[in-house]
Amino acid sequence: MSGNDLGGSATGAAGPACPDAHTLGTLARAEPGALKRVAEALLEDLGDIEVLASRTGLAMLPREDSVTGTLFHLGEVLVAEAHIRLGDGVEGYGAVVGRDLERAMAMAVVDAALAAGRAPRSVHDFVAGEAARHAAEDTARLAKVEATRVEMEAF
Amino acid sequence: MAYAATRGGEEAIAQAERLYRDDLGPLTAGRIAEVRRALPYLVDRVMGEASLYEPDLAALALAQTGGELYEAVLLLRAYRTTQPRLWTAEPVTHRDILTVRRISAAFKDIPGGQILGPTLDYSHRLLKVGVLAGETDVPEPVTPGRTSAPATQPALADWQREQGLVAPERAAKVPLDDIPDVTRDGLLFPPPRAHRLQTLARGDTGGMLALGYANQRGYGPVHPAVNDLRLGEAEVRLRHPRGTVFSAGRVRVSETEMVSKDPRADTLKLGFCATFGWNEVKTIAGATLDLSMEEQSAFAAADEEFVLYHTEPTEASGFCIHFKMPHYVTFQSSLDALRGANADRDRRAARAKARPKADRMSGAEIEEALS
Repeated sequence: MSGNDLGGSATGAAGPACPDAHTLGTLARAEPGALKRVAEALLEDLGDIEVLASRTGLAMLPREDSVTGTLFHLGEVLVAEAHIRLGDGVEGYGAVVGRDLERAMAMAVVDAALAAGRAPRSVHDFVAGEAARHAAEDTARLAKVEATRVEMEAF
Repeated sequence: MAYAATRGGEEAIAQAERLYRDDLGPLTAGRIAEVRRALPYLVDRVMGEASLYEPDLAALALAQTGGELYEAVLLLRAYRTTQPRLWTAEPVTHRDILTVRRISAAFKDIPGGQILGPTLDYSHRLLKVGVLAGETDVPEPVTPGRTSAPATQPALADWQREQGLVAPERAAKVPLDDIPDVTRDGLLFPPPRAHRLQTLARGDTGGMLALGYANQRGYGPVHPAVNDLRLGEAEVRLRHPRGTVFSAGRVRVSETEMVSKDPRADTLKLGFCATFGWNEVKTIAGATLDLSMEEQSAFAAADEEFVLYHTEPTEASGFCIHFKMPHYVTFQSSLDALRGANADRDRRAARAKARPKADRMSGAEIEEALS
């Protein structure tokens, strides 16, 4: 992966408090209105926030050709991105497919709160609840897909 | 080709655009949302051809142009140029796509099984005309399976490679920043395979269908069948500044492998095509073209340069419609040549009429006249 030219410094090796890939993915997929309300509620306790980036941009999506293994570009996806820094230097980052800058910023705020260890129980509950909802959505959808499984018989 | 600079008509031009929009009516957020909700496959097609994934913008482009597809694609491609490229995401592979449809026409019993998914393949094509009379057509709900389908499906090509039916993968892995990119490199021939597949991914559905269909009807060197066709969703995986790779969301994708007998070996050959959105006719045609372009052939519809140049939607539609623009110098030149030819013919006819015997002179008379 390349190109994350944000100019912000990484906070070093991810500690146990830092959101992992699953948590970050859950935040990116969270219901936008609920995510924004959670972030809004955090703002007062987080103090000064420096916005390092709030913008839309393109993510080129490479694809592997299943025939030869050749990597090629499928096309570009529009992504909204936010990058912030708290007063204590902890950074938060959000990136979501689409154009919703508020949603990306809300993700960055929640990420920063979690990374700084300053997220109340309700935020952890929100993330867990969203993760469970996403899993249930996928399970229900794939159960409908399973209903279309067909056994072909040749005469 | 000569062009003419023209003047005048500013007011007419302004009114002409107004007249176009006058026919479409007000553009509202509600209309855009309805286009996106009601016409997802059309939105997908436009996103694929524009090579830009953003359904709201694609719906806006469709509404703004009244559904004029090439104008909609052009709008999206123009918008794309206003945005910086910030990332190259993690590559998507065959094996990690959330798969909702997966079929094979060549192999009946495939690893993972055949899943029809959302399709009209086996449906009667009957218009629901009752809706026009005020009825509401509510789709019958799906009766879910007792279990859920696996989120991902194995690659049929992997099984075929294990069986020795197809050649092993051969591409060298390249750093993501070194993947050839037609939007930055331009298309030169012979192109790297990455350019071919990217060009097909952003190709014109109708153009690819026409040329793919021509191959399938015999105007090409291969007679393929669907090896593996999939509709699904791919995760867009980006890197957090802390280094963690995470999914920023999903995008709809289609992909098809076509299979035919390798004319040079006792194995099968596969062609591949993938695109943004759910657009399987495009990927079937594209994978057919990929197979055909591998062969030496006299058919234009299997020639790589012919295929890739003529299935580029913005280039092709732009060139086609540019003939509407003032060509007065070019046409004046043609007209002058035509008038000159006509004048010459008339002069020759007049001379012949003035010397009617000349046409009927005997050989002796001609010799005498020349002596």
